[in-house]
Amino acid sequence: VLHTTRPLHTTQQSLAPLPPLPEKGGEIRYGLIPEEFFQFLYPKTGVTGPYMLGTGLLLYFLSKEIYVINHETVAAACILSVFIYGVKKYGSDVAAFADKLNEEKVAKALDVKNEAIKGLETAIEQEKKEQWRVEGRSYLFDAKRNNIAMLLETNYRERLLMVYNEVKKRLDYQVAMQNLKRQKEQDHMIQWVEKNVVQSITPQQQKESIAKCILDLKALSKNVQAAV
Amino acid sequence: MNLSFFDQFTSPCLLGIPLILISLLFPALLLPSPDNRWITNRLSTLQSWFLHLVTKQLMMPLNKKGHKWALILTSLMTFLLMINLLGLLPYTFTPTTQLSMNMALALPLWLATLLTGMRNQPSISLGHLLPEGTPTPLIPALILIETTSLLIRPLALGVRLTANLTAGHLLIQLISTASIALLPTIPTVSILTTTILLLLTLLEVAVAMIQAYVFVLLLSLYLQENI
Repeated sequence: VLHTTRPLHTTQQSLAPLPPLPEKGGEIRYGLIPEEFFQFLYPKTGVTGPYMLGTGLLLYFLSKEIYVINHETVAAACILSVFIYGVKKYGSDVAAFADKLNEEKVAKALDVKNEAIKGLETAIEQEKKEQWRVEGRSYLFDAKRNNIAMLLETNYRERLLMVYNEVKKRLDYQVAMQNLKRQKEQDHMIQWVEKNVVQSITPQQQKESIAKCILDLKALSKNVQAAV
Repeated sequence: MNLSFFDQFTSPCLLGIPLILISLLFPALLLPSPDNRWITNRLSTLQSWFLHLVTKQLMMPLNKKGHKWALILTSLMTFLLMINLLGLLPYTFTPTTQLSMNMALALPLWLATLLTGMRNQPSISLGHLLPEGTPTPLIPALILIETTSLLIRPLALGVRLTANLTAGHLLIQLISTASIALLPTIPTVSILTTTILLLLTLLEVAVAMIQAYVFVLLLSLYLQENI
C-alpha cells in the first residue's frame, strides 16, 4: 500500500517527520579525499601515512605505465588548474551568495511573522484603549444628556419668545386700531365742531367781530404809541 | 593502439555496446534534484536560482503562447551547457561534437518554430521574408535571399555548435601534443606552448558556455518571429 502512494519515489517513504539533515557536509582534504580516510589510517601509519600511500600509488601508476603521460595529461593539467583557480578565487563569494539567497527567503518569512505580531499587538493596544473608553461611557452619556436637555430648553424658550411676540403683535394691533379709531373720531368731531362753528358765524356777527377787532387794534396802537 | 587526433570524436563503445546513451544522460546525474524542503543546500539553491534566471531571460520577449516552450528551452540550455563543460575534461567524449546529434537537436526545433508560425499566422510568418522599407525593384531578389537564409537556419545552428566544439577540442589536442613533444628538445618553447594552452582552455570554457547559450537564444529568436 505504501508503494502505490508514491509511484515515482519523489517524496519520503514514511509519513513521520524525518530527522533534520546536518548543516555542513563532511570534512574534505584537497577537495577529493574525506577526512575520515586520514583518521582511519592515523593509528597505524601516523600523519604521513595517507600521503605516502598517495605518492606510492602515483609513482606505481606512472612507472608501470598504467597511467600513460600523453598530450591529454597536459590538457588535464590546464583544465584542472583553471578549475581550481576558479574555485579558490570565487568559491567563498558563490557560497556567500547562495547563503544570502537562503537568508532572504527566511527573512521574508520572518517578516511576515513579525508583521503579523506587530499587527496583533497594535490590535491589542487599540482594544485596551477601547476598554478604557468604555469606562468613561457614563460621563459621555451625562454630557450628551445635558447637551440634549440644553437644546430642548433653548428650543422651548425660543418658542415661548415667539409666542410672546406673536401675542404682543396682535395686542398691539388691537391697541393701534383703537387709538386710530379714537383719533379719527376726535378729528372728525373737531372738524364737525369747526364746521358748525364756521357755519354758525352769521354775516352779521362777522361784521361786528371785525369792527370790534379794528377798534381794539386802534386802541392798542394808541396805547403803544403812548407807551413809546 | 595509436590514436589519431580524430579518434576522440568517435562514438564510445565498450565491448560492442554503444555508450552514447550513457554519455548523454550522465550530466543530468550531476545536477541535484529539487528536494521537498523549503531551505535547500547551497548547490540546490544556486541551481534553482540559475534556472529561474535563464527561464526569465528566455521568456521575457515571448508572448504567453511562447511560454509553452519554457521547459524545453531551459532544459536544452542546461543539457548543452553541462555536456560542453564536461567535454573539456581529459579522456571525455563530447556528444555535441557529433554533427548527427546537433542536427537532430536543431532541425526538429527549428521546424517546429517554422510550422507554428506557418500554421497559426501564415501571412505574418511569410511577411518576415521581406524587411520593411525595401525598394520595389529589389523585392524578388530579397525574397529569394531571405528564403535561403530561412532554410539554412537549421544547418547553421547545428554546424555552428559542432564546428565550434570540434575545433576547440582539436586545438587543445594539437597544442598539448606540441607542448609534450617539444618538452625534451626546447623546454622554453614548450612552456610557451603550455601558456597558450592555458589561455586556450579559458577560451574553450567560455566557448562552451556561449555556444550553448547562443543555440538556445537563436531558437528563442526564431520562436519570437513565429509565435
